[in-house]
Amino acid sequence: MLREEGQFSARFEHIEAICDLVERAAVDAGLDDHAQYASQLAVGEACENIICHGYKEIKDGKIYVKVQASPGELTIELEDNAPPFDPSKKVVNHCCVEDLEGGLGLPILHKVMDEIEYSRHGDSNRLILRKYGSSG
Amino acid sequence: MDINIQDYKRVGVVTVGGRIDGATAPDFESHLKDIIQSGQNNLILDMNNVDFMSSSCLRVMLTTRKALMKVGGRLVIADPSSRVTDTLDIAGIDVLFEVFADREAAIASF
Repeated sequence: MLREEGQFSARFEHIEAICDLVERAAVDAGLDDHAQYASQLAVGEACENIICHGYKEIKDGKIYVKVQASPGELTIELEDNAPPFDPSKKVVNHCCVEDLEGGLGLPILHKVMDEIEYSRHGDSNRLILRKYGSSG
Repeated sequence: MDINIQDYKRVGVVTVGGRIDGATAPDFESHLKDIIQSGQNNLILDMNNVDFMSSSCLRVMLTTRKALMKVGGRLVIADPSSRVTDTLDIAGIDVLFEVFADREAAIASF
């Protein structure tokens, strides 16, 4: 079982390092190539959302990342200190192309992950994402 | 992100590779705006070497597509990597873009 964690400044240029962390765990969990990429895509969207919206008015925000891999299961935990926001409940209905331009991140997150859990702890948002392999 | 632009008479070919996400999408968008402002109404995105694209990249592609359509132009994709195909499919916007197997076929469509 692989467990890794890290603390990152909430800046776009650090998302690649977070995705790398997720990729290592996804490989360790035995997820196939498509699921590995989907997991990176999801965590990237979640982080972009935290940076663009959560920390919009806050400088020097941090994102805390924990990944855990077990056979056929990848768990990603993201924590931030931005104002409360629950991406697990976000429902987006696109009715035209113009809608798509502003809101593709959360639909992607919901489409590729098997489970999304949100909770608020004190001044922190905690988002848990799970992806299962074909044997999971 | 790596980007190279070849401007032909009828179409501009933008070869882009690497990672296009929130960190690099503004630069990608800036290059596309520059080529459109120079008068080019038709663009091909050669995306064979793209290994990651987030919704920030998709937003740039959608806004560029819209800008070109307004002036009677087109934005098409040539030779997409599996990551590009996956992302367009996951986002459900694959139907919005014409996709060609290679750049020669894309150029011939203009």
